[in-house]
Amino acid sequence: MTDTVAIAPDIHLALAIQAEGLGKSFGSRKALDNVSFELPEQAFLSIFGHNGAGKTTLLRVLSTLARPSAGKVEVLGLDVREKPEELRSRIGLISHRSMLYPDLTAEENLLFTARMYGVQNPKARVSELLELVELTARRHDPVRGFSRGMTQRIAIARALVPDPALLFLDEPYSGLDPHAVEILDRLLERLRFGKNLVMISHDLNHGFALATHLLVLAQGKVALFTERDELDVRSFREFYRNSVGAGGI
Amino acid sequence: MAELTIVRPSAFKQFRVLLGKELRQEFRTREMLTSMGIYALLVLVIFGAALSQAAQGFDILQVSGGLIWALIVFTSLLGLNRSFSSEKEEAALEGILLMPMDRSLIFLSKATSNLIFLLLVELISLPLFYFFFLTISSPAPSFWMASLPLLVGSIGIAGVGTLLATITSNARGKDVLLALLFIPIIYPLLHAVVAATTVVVVGGDNLVGTFATSLALAGGYDVVMLALSWFLYEFVISN
Repeated sequence: MTDTVAIAPDIHLALAIQAEGLGKSFGSRKALDNVSFELPEQAFLSIFGHNGAGKTTLLRVLSTLARPSAGKVEVLGLDVREKPEELRSRIGLISHRSMLYPDLTAEENLLFTARMYGVQNPKARVSELLELVELTARRHDPVRGFSRGMTQRIAIARALVPDPALLFLDEPYSGLDPHAVEILDRLLERLRFGKNLVMISHDLNHGFALATHLLVLAQGKVALFTERDELDVRSFREFYRNSVGAGGI
Repeated sequence: MAELTIVRPSAFKQFRVLLGKELRQEFRTREMLTSMGIYALLVLVIFGAALSQAAQGFDILQVSGGLIWALIVFTSLLGLNRSFSSEKEEAALEGILLMPMDRSLIFLSKATSNLIFLLLVELISLPLFYFFFLTISSPAPSFWMASLPLLVGSIGIAGVGTLLATITSNARGKDVLLALLFIPIIYPLLHAVVAATTVVVVGGDNLVGTFATSLALAGGYDVVMLALSWFLYEFVISN
């Protein structure tokens, strides 16, 4: 359907992600097909594509939740097949599902995560994160009673508990109210310094504005991988419309 | 933000944290315990109705082992089917799978919590079984020894059941599927613990021999199946 357009960065920095011929199949269906790209450290990658393009599968492979069927992938210099456990201690994932226990309180959910990762002085860390997501006052309330936006803020705090070097975000804005969007924007602005961020987005303008790098997937293949500064938003939209189709814009 | 120090916890510490979370959650909602408890009481009522038409001279002691284990197996199936419901609701299982840990610890903590819940329900329902069905007969003095097969059988049910509940948790029609897999797989264990339970309730000359053989078979089943479940769990939960 589309040809790969890869614009290599001029300066070779240490790599946050290095994917080479990555493939993932479910039976005879190829969800990812020969995906290759190199993301330098301290980058913010926005991933775009239609439903079923392979975005979530790519994120699941990169975050060790799924094993690749073909190719080689290194995340933060660690092979996802060979050193998944070591890698898990350095990454975080925020999904459109909160990954929280609804019957536990906000504080209990975060304390559970902190203790599993071995955070020293977990209570102080949890208090700090609750403050960051502006939910200190609701720390003793069960998550089940939270609005979608509040739940997502606790999910963000959960992902930040071990202070991951790389944060994956799978449509984190989905279903958020404007206040929650504002808080998430502020958080991402703050996190982008010193961290690597990889985000799946359906919003071209928003995803483009936040990113340093852009990746477009179409039918499991890389349609475009480039530094954001190589394109302006208009030409990116045009590329997306022409090569991937108008449905996702 | 303050300086963050992370020291990878031991497997035992992670197990304790996981088990603590399971218990805290269940004792807060009592979802599983309530449904298992009510179900056990209903099974007792059905037993009562079934046995009310028994012929004069019918010796309930001879079938008491089978009835007790029928009660335990059906009640445990209900609990096992619910054991992953909190993980599924908001994809919390993925959050756990992202943690740096031996994934077999998930099995160990789930199996332990399932065992605790099953034993708690047994603690309520079995005295009731005794009160309703065995007080009119005269169980052998060795009756108290039934606690051993009850413990060994419950361990096997919780262990194998946890593995199978993990396998079926994403399947359509998981309730039926779990029962279809669970009952044939635990049949050897069931056979052994029913024999061990019945012989201590009835008593007789060959009590020690039958009891020891049946208990050894049940114990052997537990060791082999729990080791197999532990070994397979990483593969099962990752796929």
